[in-house]
Amino acid sequence: MVEELANSINKNIVLQVNHVTKQVKLDDKSLTILHGIDLEVNKGETLAIVGSSGSGKTTLLSLLAGLDLPSSGEIFLKQQPLHLFDEEQRSQVRAKYVGFIFQQFLLINSLTALENIMVPAELAQIKQARSLALKLLADVGLSERGDHFPSQLSGGEQQRVAIARAFITQPDILFADEPTGNLDSKTGEHITDLLFQLNQQFGTTLVLVTHDQKLAQRCQRIIEMDSGNLMRDSAINHLTSNLA
Amino acid sequence: MSFIQPLAIQQSLRLFRHELRRGELTIIFLAIVLAVATVFSLTSFSAQIKTALVDESSSFIGADRVLQTSRVLPKEIIDYSQRLQLNMAQQVLMASMVFAHDEMQLVSLRAVSALYPLKGQLLIKQGENNIHALHAPPRGEVWLAKKLFQSLAVKLQDNIEIGDAYFTITGIIEQIPDASFSVFTSGPSVIINIADLEKTKLIQPASRVTYKYLFAGKPENIDKFEKWLTPQLNDTQRWYDIKSSQSQLASALNRAEKFLSLASLLGIILAAVAVAVAARRYGQRHQSSVAVFKAMGASRQYIKQVYLFHWFILVTLSLLTGLIIGYVIQLIGLWAMADYLSTSSQTFSFYSLFAAVFTGIICALAFAFEPLQTLIRTSPLKVIRENDSPINRYSLLKQIPALAALFILLWFFSQDLYTSMVLFFGGIVVITLLLLLARLAMLFSKQVGSQAGQALQLALANLRRRANENSVQLVSFTIAIKLLLLLLVIKSELINDWQAQLPDNTANRFLINISPEQVNHLKHFIVENKLAASKAYPVVPGRLVAINEEKIQRKVTKENEDKSNQGRQGIGRELNLTWQKKLPIKNQIIAGEWWQENTDKFLVSVEEKLAKRLAIKIGDKLTFQLGADIFTVTVANLRKVNWQSLQPNFYMIFSPNVLAEFPATYIASLYIPAEKEQQFRLFLSQYPTITLLDVDAMLRQLRTVISQVSLAIEFILVLVVLAGSLVLVAQVQATMDERQRELAILRTLGAKGRLLRNSILYEFLALGALAGLLASLAMEVSLYFLQTQLFEMSPRFHGEFWLIAIASGSVFVGFMGMLSCWKLINKTALYHQI
Ligand SMILES: Nc1ncnc2c1ncn2[C@@H]1O[C@H](COP(=O)(O)OP(=O)(O)OP(=O)(O)O)[C@@H](O)[C@H]1O
Ligand SMILES: [Mg+2]
Repeated sequence: MVEELANSINKNIVLQVNHVTKQVKLDDKSLTILHGIDLEVNKGETLAIVGSSGSGKTTLLSLLAGLDLPSSGEIFLKQQPLHLFDEEQRSQVRAKYVGFIFQQFLLINSLTALENIMVPAELAQIKQARSLALKLLADVGLSERGDHFPSQLSGGEQQRVAIARAFITQPDILFADEPTGNLDSKTGEHITDLLFQLNQQFGTTLVLVTHDQKLAQRCQRIIEMDSGNLMRDSAINHLTSNLA
Repeated sequence: MSFIQPLAIQQSLRLFRHELRRGELTIIFLAIVLAVATVFSLTSFSAQIKTALVDESSSFIGADRVLQTSRVLPKEIIDYSQRLQLNMAQQVLMASMVFAHDEMQLVSLRAVSALYPLKGQLLIKQGENNIHALHAPPRGEVWLAKKLFQSLAVKLQDNIEIGDAYFTITGIIEQIPDASFSVFTSGPSVIINIADLEKTKLIQPASRVTYKYLFAGKPENIDKFEKWLTPQLNDTQRWYDIKSSQSQLASALNRAEKFLSLASLLGIILAAVAVAVAARRYGQRHQSSVAVFKAMGASRQYIKQVYLFHWFILVTLSLLTGLIIGYVIQLIGLWAMADYLSTSSQTFSFYSLFAAVFTGIICALAFAFEPLQTLIRTSPLKVIRENDSPINRYSLLKQIPALAALFILLWFFSQDLYTSMVLFFGGIVVITLLLLLARLAMLFSKQVGSQAGQALQLALANLRRRANENSVQLVSFTIAIKLLLLLLVIKSELINDWQAQLPDNTANRFLINISPEQVNHLKHFIVENKLAASKAYPVVPGRLVAINEEKIQRKVTKENEDKSNQGRQGIGRELNLTWQKKLPIKNQIIAGEWWQENTDKFLVSVEEKLAKRLAIKIGDKLTFQLGADIFTVTVANLRKVNWQSLQPNFYMIFSPNVLAEFPATYIASLYIPAEKEQQFRLFLSQYPTITLLDVDAMLRQLRTVISQVSLAIEFILVLVVLAGSLVLVAQVQATMDERQRELAILRTLGAKGRLLRNSILYEFLALGALAGLLASLAMEVSLYFLQTQLFEMSPRFHGEFWLIAIASGSVFVGFMGMLSCWKLINKTALYHQI
């Protein structure tokens, strides 16, 4: 309790993770995917999570964003105890503070690109959802494609729509799972630029999962995961940063 | 909490608009449309057909209902019928002599009241080319059957004497709607006005008179009257409609009606199943969208509103479309049948409307309940791990709303709790058995698979891996095919049965009173003109006077006054006796044995129903009186007679030498085609003593009714086939969704398009063939029950339909499967789906 109070006082901390574990049941056995993760992320920080495939990065991200509950441990996002919240409350937290870019750029198939981008804005009851979405569409270079459905877009184009969608609410914290994973390096770089621009302009906290060394290097901080453990947490290169 | 969010509604509309245009809602839309349209058109169409058929056929009894009695009806009955605004006509029937100059003749006299006939046409010829449908003759006039003009040597405008009164002949009877088809009516018909009956003084205390009271009117009034009347009837009164009239038509009509009800019920079930399958698919298809919405922070409330409203507009739209289409289908049906059937002008029934809307809503609520619930509960985690939530579990508990809905529909449409229970629980048992069989078949395919080619192996492996879902698919394929098959078989059997009863060369003329010398001339005429004819049966009138030495005169007479049926009136007075070496065709021995052709014993074969009524057993001694002679014979066998076959039928057939000494006349039936009509008349004119009974008009009417029924049945079958096909399509589509991802992966891994295509083709072909096989099996079992219990037909095995079922099952399912996955396999941007 004392610790919690202390945390809530420190307004600079956006994300506080204490001893989080995750276990899943497989048939009769119980499989531990995350073994006691501890993590703190400050406001405006950019953080890359790296690690080999299957090490638990996506699982961790889903817990941080409140999509799932930890088996034990605590997660505070903007001082909200996600681990105590039910699905409904976590949804509210997400609507308010969180943006998300999935590993598979899951768009809603029966909504157009533009309408997909508008979804979070509408959920957050932002008035000018459409004009914001149009602007973002232009930012990701797809202003001609607003009326197209996801199935009519290429993988990279879909990913850009997903990114525009994540930006529209100007979230306090943005989680991105392999945002450049399926893109060629040029598009990837463009997307990366967009991400960091957001961080610069609005102070959005970025939590990225990536295999891409170049992308990881642009982050202020890299943590490495291995079989469900946090191996290395390096705060590096605060100053040698990015952006043209 | 539950206030409506305009944004959710807006989102819902947006999704709906796009999905509708992109064809993602087509199947569910069609399923509901079809369910509603089927119910709407089936209920109103079959109700109209039924009414029209009964209406049409009612002309065979001249009314909607007839009360036949041996005494005049109490006034209060007539009064009540008038209060219900029923039309009533009266008919008094008796045997009587008529006299003209020096000639006299025994006739069957009908004294009819002004409104007779209430249904059907009494056709009277009053001059050349002057045939009209008339009601009762004016007072003082009489209409005679054609042959009386010859035997009485009279012409139109002559006078004849009936009882104590004189009448002027003003018409020739061409057709009496409710003429008795009995071959042995007491004589040619004579019609007078009932008001003239008294002055003939024919009705004496001892005279045998039959009173027929004919009623017609609005169905609800008739029903009311019937409910009021029937409890007060006694043994001497008989109340009947066309269906209980024991005419040839009655059984055809009853069966047709049962078939129409059954077909409608099955059609509705199929449509409901299609909705259920499509609703499940609807739920599954929207899960990923819901997961994304939730991951973006949508509340459950929001999701609920988006998708409930989505479902609501979908259902409303399909319901309305279904009603319109149903109405149009029904109009088309009635229009197509208009030439054959005089349907009522009222083409819109509120009952059908209600039934259709009710069905649509029940389907929409109950079948969507579980899928929608699962959909709304979709975990947002699905955005990360596709197969996270265990949605594919078929828990029986979750299916309760759907099952309850199905039961309600069964009950609602059959209006019979017992039938619904039988169908429902029978269905559940069958489905459970089918599921087990399906699993077994999948297991069995393992053995086959090891010897098969690559594509086939892949197909069989796929089948096995998804054994659970496949069993469910297999069962729905099977049910659809089975129900279709069932109707198809019953339909063709029904129609065959009717046609077998009335082949083209069914006898349309009966010749009675043929003298022994004339028989050879007749035979010669028959051979010469290549006519189809029965043999000539000798007839000797005689009386059954004792059974086992016990006099039965009174017993039989009393029996006769009971609610005796047409054709049985001869018993108690004279019976037409005949003798035969061989058992006549269409007769069937049900107890004892037929005699040796050359037997010299005194034996008799008795019709089973008469035997039952008089408690006659094999070995009993029956004593007959023929004129002054009395002799006794032993009952050798009991015989079942098809009274509906148009050929001479007998209650008593003797062994050959019993009656050989008695003077006999002969009777025969034959078919005279139109082009032989002329020769036939010419032939008969040489033998004025032969009595001709013309049943051609009756036959024609019977045929019309049967072809109408057949047509109606075909039409309804089309609707049911549509419903069945939709189940198949919906199921194939649902199957496709499940394997979409997997296909994409296989393709990406480099599996050749052709290999995939073939494997899928084989898989679906196998599924379809298996479903066809199981369906045939299930059909045969259900058919056995239906035919023995419901339709009173003799069941048989239907090998040819097994082939049809298996072939069409595999072709249809295979084709649909290929069609749905063709696009999938050929997609280039496959990674979109991974
Ligand atoms: N619900 C689950 N049931 C069973 N195993 C699971 C479940 N969720 C995750 N896993 C397992 O946990 C491990 C971590 O999965 P996760 O998706 O987090 O890996 P990852 O680090 O994101 O890998 P990648 O870089 O390939 O995306 C994997 O081995 C995965 O198979
Ligand atoms: Mg991952």
